Amino acid sequence: MRPSRRIGVLRVGLLTAGLVIVAIPFVWILLTAFKFQVDAASIPPEIFSPFTWTNFEKVFQGPYLQSLGNSVIITVGTTIATLVVGVPAGYAIARGRFFGRRFLAGFLLFSRMVPPVIFIIPLFLFFHELGLIDSFVGLILAYLSGLLPFTIWLCASYFSDIPLELEDAARVDGCSRFQAFLRVALPLAIPGVVIVGLLIAIAAWSEYFIPLLLAGPYTTPATVGLVDFVGVDSINWGAMAAAALALAVPVFFVTLLAQRGLLRGLTAGAVKG
Amino acid sequence: MQSIKQAPAPRRGLSLFGFLDRHFLVTAAWPSLIIMLGITLIPFIVTIGLAFTNYDLVQFGKWHFIGLDNFSQLMADPQMPVIVFNTAYLVIGTTVADTVVGLGLAILMEASFRGVGFFRTLYLLPIMTAPIIVALTWRAMFNDNAGWINYFLSLAHLPQPTWLGDPILAMPTVIISDMWTGVCFQAVLLLAGLLAVSHELKEAAVTDGANRWQVFRHVTLPSIRPILFVAVLLKAIDEFRKFEGIQILTTGGPGIASTTLNLQIYDTGLFYDQVGYAASYGVLMVGMIAVTAVAIWFFLGRSR
Repeated sequence: MRPSRRIGVLRVGLLTAGLVIVAIPFVWILLTAFKFQVDAASIPPEIFSPFTWTNFEKVFQGPYLQSLGNSVIITVGTTIATLVVGVPAGYAIARGRFFGRRFLAGFLLFSRMVPPVIFIIPLFLFFHELGLIDSFVGLILAYLSGLLPFTIWLCASYFSDIPLELEDAARVDGCSRFQAFLRVALPLAIPGVVIVGLLIAIAAWSEYFIPLLLAGPYTTPATVGLVDFVGVDSINWGAMAAAALALAVPVFFVTLLAQRGLLRGLTAGAVKG
Repeated sequence: MQSIKQAPAPRRGLSLFGFLDRHFLVTAAWPSLIIMLGITLIPFIVTIGLAFTNYDLVQFGKWHFIGLDNFSQLMADPQMPVIVFNTAYLVIGTTVADTVVGLGLAILMEASFRGVGFFRTLYLLPIMTAPIIVALTWRAMFNDNAGWINYFLSLAHLPQPTWLGDPILAMPTVIISDMWTGVCFQAVLLLAGLLAVSHELKEAAVTDGANRWQVFRHVTLPSIRPILFVAVLLKAIDEFRKFEGIQILTTGGPGIASTTLNLQIYDTGLFYDQVGYAASYGVLMVGMIAVTAVAIWFFLGRSR
């Protein structure tokens, strides 16, 4: 069943046509970000218009810059917190029996099924009582609701690929269980953990729904700040596109640099689950 | 065997470290469990409980249990059937469209030819783009007069509908914009399944005289069924929680023509402050998700 030459050409043609569709929204963002406000809203639309930096000046002078900073704090904080708590739990799931294992495993599935809108109203009320609204700690805690199960699940699959014999050997040599985890299992799982970390960071960077409700003037991330360019009666498309570009470009670089690993991380959960 | 001289794992019975070490797995797992109890399970139970109260955010001091009143109000609510229909429309529409087109895309990317890695990488980019950016961009693209889509249609002398303002077209517009990321996502998952299909099995089928379609239907499809099940289940569950792609694109409108349960709960609970009533919509949503998951398992997940 050698694919014939004609099929090969058809295949590349279809894939290229698909890429054009994928590219159009990106091209729109890129072109609109460098348009004057009048040109960006012109009827009928102009695909190419005079070039300007004004949108970027506007975006980086206003509150959007602070919200980008908030996004960085939230993303770094969430990634560290999720990995510190989730990686050992993934190891525990992969490695054996302990009180609460079945409950934890079942709970991972449960939390994947229930949408955030179900948790968010009580969380809003609790956080209000605890003074965690508009605080980074509160936001990071709320982000954990979706990201922690994902981390535990993926890490468990990475750890279960590591032969138990290696840790047994270390234990015979006098390592404690903790040392066996820290010095033997964890270093071997590091490539997987890095990928999980990147996927969490991208997810935290892109999150909109949770901060829409739980963030405030001091902690608003860039995803929520982006919508401020959409006014009640008029939208500043140029500034919006420039702001979107600032939000998308870091993720683009990470994706292009780590594409192989990300592909594996995205599919590992589904293939093994 | 030098190590035999070293002390075995520390087992000082009374020290905290010794205790934690002997129970290392529990120690490793419980912080996660406690956090998840606090931020998902307890809120989940509270939401179920709130469905039986008249809690609202304006006079939250004066709430009390009202039994099934929220549910009888829900049953009488003329918006409820529309919203349930919209939710089913979105979930079924996107899941079917994304999975079918995504499977096609995965088949195209399955072959090994020069440059295949280039395609596989670029089709990742929509998945990694923040949903809020996707939603805002499509809102611009679908704009009646200034949007690119109607502009291209006008160049081709085709009718230019008011995509976002037409109650019939609002949901298809949401589904089209969803396909931009959803197709790529399904393709990436299904590609992993396709690449794992045994070559021997396919070649054996060809030797036995099967044509391309028969190989796909009787070898490839059964082999990828487990991952197809997971991909369909994850997609359907994710569509229930779709937010930006509706809230930003159509704000659930015109009217409630594209409002789903997710948006309705958000609007009722946090915009109109009727937390108790929103929670009863939440119970309805959880039930609908459970039914969907069981149905998908019944058609795709059961081992035969």
